Amino acid sequence: MRALQRYRIHLGTAAWILHRLAGLALILYLLVHIWVIHHLIGGQQSFDKIMEFFNNPLAKALEIGLVGVILYHLWNGLRVTLIDMGVMVERQKALFAAAVVVWLVTWGVVAYAMLTKVGGLLSALAKIGGGGLS
Amino acid sequence: MANHENKTLTFRIRRYGTGGKAHEHYWQEYKVEAMKGQSVLDCLNEIRFKQDGSLTFRRSCRSGICGSCAMTINGVSRLACETQVMTLGTETVTVEPLKGFRPIKDLAVDIDPIPEKLLAVKPYLITKTPPPSDQERLQSQAERSRLDGLYECILCGCCTASCPSFWADEKYLGPFAFLKAYRFIADSRDEGEREHFEALDDKHGLWRCHTIFNCVEACPKSLNPTKAIAALKRELVKNRIG
Repeated sequence: MRALQRYRIHLGTAAWILHRLAGLALILYLLVHIWVIHHLIGGQQSFDKIMEFFNNPLAKALEIGLVGVILYHLWNGLRVTLIDMGVMVERQKALFAAAVVVWLVTWGVVAYAMLTKVGGLLSALAKIGGGGLS
Repeated sequence: MANHENKTLTFRIRRYGTGGKAHEHYWQEYKVEAMKGQSVLDCLNEIRFKQDGSLTFRRSCRSGICGSCAMTINGVSRLACETQVMTLGTETVTVEPLKGFRPIKDLAVDIDPIPEKLLAVKPYLITKTPPPSDQERLQSQAERSRLDGLYECILCGCCTASCPSFWADEKYLGPFAFLKAYRFIADSRDEGEREHFEALDDKHGLWRCHTIFNCVEACPKSLNPTKAIAALKRELVKNRIG
């Protein structure tokens, strides 16, 4: 991989590197997710405790970031699938641009929905403004 | 002769195995007075002929046919003879050997893997039925035109040298081998699909392509190996399911 250091990063390379990083991030998330869910074994109290641990603005921000990672992996994954199916192989850059637009729009919509729902980031931030992390 | 279109360029060259530094990479810089229209190969020749006779690189036809002068110029695999220095738009031109291949001396790399990868896909017409008596195996114009964009490869290795999958796995067959395989699989006269596919359906074969498109960016003949790879993947899946 030393060669990568001095080879130009074309658009397709960037798309691929981001796709790989997103994949790794998803594996990492899956491990955390399984760890959180395993608290169910300890009963309701144990689960409530761990959910309380994640009930803070940082976790909310990470959650929105996670949605971005999932959606990038989804839309770029579909781009690669389309290319493998022979669709727009000669216009991969336009296809990537389209994937990025759809990615950002869907991410924005989901993030908006998450923020405006009960206990969203905005209200949590307002809480910090009001009296620190608690 | 000074000309307003002349420009002094710095050539920063990645050297290897010369200057008493066996098996060691090092950078060396040369100044070249370059003219508009001059190729990188012209400049390298100027360095070799007038400044440093020890600078080693391959070249032959100087017209984009033989593929000998493939090297990494400003971070991209290209043919030195087809790359005009002025179009690069940089004061310093960085020249390195092809990536991923074993270095021999300066810009010359061991290109043995190129014929090896090529031969692995059996790059020739395989037939099982006899030809029509006293006739060639004919093709319609439409059948022939399916081979456009597949047969023009000059085997310079720019694509494979640009491919991260090849950097990670030197046994990876690489873009040009796939392009060549598809050139025969797509040929209406060929009956050796199984033989061509043998090396492709392998851990060093098709499935290692991650659709990065560096090969398409690099190809000096503007061919599209990724398109051929996509077609081969579809054929392979179709054959397995069907």
